[in-house]
Amino acid sequence: MGGVEDDEPASKRMKLSSEELRRLSNGSTIKEPVAGSSRDLMARPLQSEGGEEVVGSKGVIKKVEFVRIIAKALYSLGYIKSGAHLEEESGIPLHSSVVNVFMRQILEGNWDESVVTLRNIGLTDERTVKSASFLILEQKFFELLDEEKAMDALNTLRTEIAPLGVNDSRVRELSSYIVSPSYCSLTRSPKQDTVRARSRSKLLEELQKLLPATVMVPEGRLEHLVEQALVLQRDACMFHNSLDKEMSLYSDHQCGRDQIPSQALQVYETGVSLKHKLSGHQKPLSSVSWSPDDRQLLTCGAEEVVRLWDVSSGECLHVYEKTGLGMVSCGWSPDGKWIFSGLNDKSICMWELDGKELECWKGQRTLKISDLEITGDGKQIISICRETAILLLDREAKVERFIEEDQTITSFSLSRDSRFLLINLLNQEIHLWNIEGDPKLVSKYRGHKRTRFIIRSCFGGLEQAFIASGSEDSLVYIWHRGTGELIETLPGHSGAVNCVSWNPANPHMLASASDDRTIRIWGLNNLSTKRKEPCSNGIHYCNGVY
Amino acid sequence: MGRIFVVELDGRSYRCKFCRTHLALPDDLVSRSFHCRRGKAYLFNNAVNITVGALEERVMLSGMHTVADIFCCCCGQIVGWKYEAAHEKSQKYKEGKFVLERLVRSFASDRGRIVDEIDFSSEVYIDTRPSMSDGEDA
Repeated sequence: MGGVEDDEPASKRMKLSSEELRRLSNGSTIKEPVAGSSRDLMARPLQSEGGEEVVGSKGVIKKVEFVRIIAKALYSLGYIKSGAHLEEESGIPLHSSVVNVFMRQILEGNWDESVVTLRNIGLTDERTVKSASFLILEQKFFELLDEEKAMDALNTLRTEIAPLGVNDSRVRELSSYIVSPSYCSLTRSPKQDTVRARSRSKLLEELQKLLPATVMVPEGRLEHLVEQALVLQRDACMFHNSLDKEMSLYSDHQCGRDQIPSQALQVYETGVSLKHKLSGHQKPLSSVSWSPDDRQLLTCGAEEVVRLWDVSSGECLHVYEKTGLGMVSCGWSPDGKWIFSGLNDKSICMWELDGKELECWKGQRTLKISDLEITGDGKQIISICRETAILLLDREAKVERFIEEDQTITSFSLSRDSRFLLINLLNQEIHLWNIEGDPKLVSKYRGHKRTRFIIRSCFGGLEQAFIASGSEDSLVYIWHRGTGELIETLPGHSGAVNCVSWNPANPHMLASASDDRTIRIWGLNNLSTKRKEPCSNGIHYCNGVY
Repeated sequence: MGRIFVVELDGRSYRCKFCRTHLALPDDLVSRSFHCRRGKAYLFNNAVNITVGALEERVMLSGMHTVADIFCCCCGQIVGWKYEAAHEKSQKYKEGKFVLERLVRSFASDRGRIVDEIDFSSEVYIDTRPSMSDGEDA
């Protein structure tokens, strides 16, 4: 192993910089001071005198650290010979000789010697030393109990563990084990030897976590760094929309544009295939909402009534109304038991399916043109309460939170995990807000056109990593949610695109509805894509049916 | 057609005479002394439910201005204009404000009654004293 002998005088022992620890790791100990000149004689050619060797083009990877974590990874993979060879060839030992001795003593169960060696490692933090000693002595304690040497165990507890002054409640727990050793034996497996051996390596793992990383390289460090890099690559990948793509270490991960729906697969002119005509409303519809189980549909006439329909039979199951008032919006609770509706006196009401009114929130809760959403846990009701504000009403805790914007809000959309809200504004901006705790503005998306109509946007794609929106210039706009960059505009419609809906089950499918009276289904731009019908709650919104 | 986004103003408001869409609040009224070819016009701080047309340079009685015609977002009727920029310092106060013409405007309360304004003359006249009021040749 060899290495530079450390000539640091004893007074400098407590101050260990990374430089000194590096020298320690090279197999020297503070207990062996050597005259200064010998340092030069024994200097290794690979190490520069003052600075540290670096690898990599950016000069941020310290060579010693790099080699040590590689050695650790080799040992973890089981390549003991390779690991040892690396240590020898590079002259950079994975652990200093003191630490090696320490580790061996732990595995062999030489507790008292290991505590002494622990002190020799030269840790600066006395608390760490004490905590580590505690762990070692605790192991000693349990093993003595295993061997049924209760008196020795008690002795250890009294004279060695307790004086450390660490974790007194645990000390009391340990003393209870002496009294009822059967408690201990319940947690043991029948084979004594294997238990002890296993738990000793477990102890070593615990100690590894406790001691500074420079002294004992943490388990799985190289793997952790590689995973970090892969995750960063994946997050930076703007078109990432497929689980199939496996990430390789050979090259940086980058999905191509072909992962985003960009080709119109189907164009529906008069309606997908007319199943039922639901007649009954006297006024144009202002909103439509599918039940969570997709079997029923709620429709709301503009300032009229709300009707409940059975989708398979086309029958109207119920009409919800309030005398003297008109309903303006409708929504379902996530468990399908209740329905909500906004009224034209700005209140919001909640009914059971059979029509029994359960609650009514009066006051400035909603506007005549406003979406109505319920979060996934059924607790929060979300609606536009003022021109520039959205109300988040916790109906159980009776707490109100507000999102305040500078511009008039036209519509909004809730993410699938109910943590984010996408807000469309009058001035052609789309804002993404985090609505957990205090609402925070996260991103803005721009580019689409809006001057007269309610244009809707939605979340979509794998893990809802994309934002899609309609636009008055007949294009469908798609942004990468994380970076805010516009990644696609889809031509094809010949009129304003009023709303879009991304298939929640298929990240490669998007639907759009337009003033040209067609619905377009968009998919991937290659012939091998299978055509699938969008699942029934793929299209959530209807901007008005005349 | 898509669903037009309209804002509702509380209480009494000035509305489009043809489709009753809300346009402006009395609180935002700045001046009643404007004129256009068709008659009187009011200057407002703010107007809603309008779409803005193309910008153009127009010579008004009070000087050169950059204006854009504004239309009711529901029925498309032209209802007045918006001052984008004024070239003379004395006219700068108009920037960002809206003019709604009298004949296309009605004043209504929520109950739908139309209140006629009584301080209008039926004559159209151009004010030749630019310092007092603004005669705009629309």
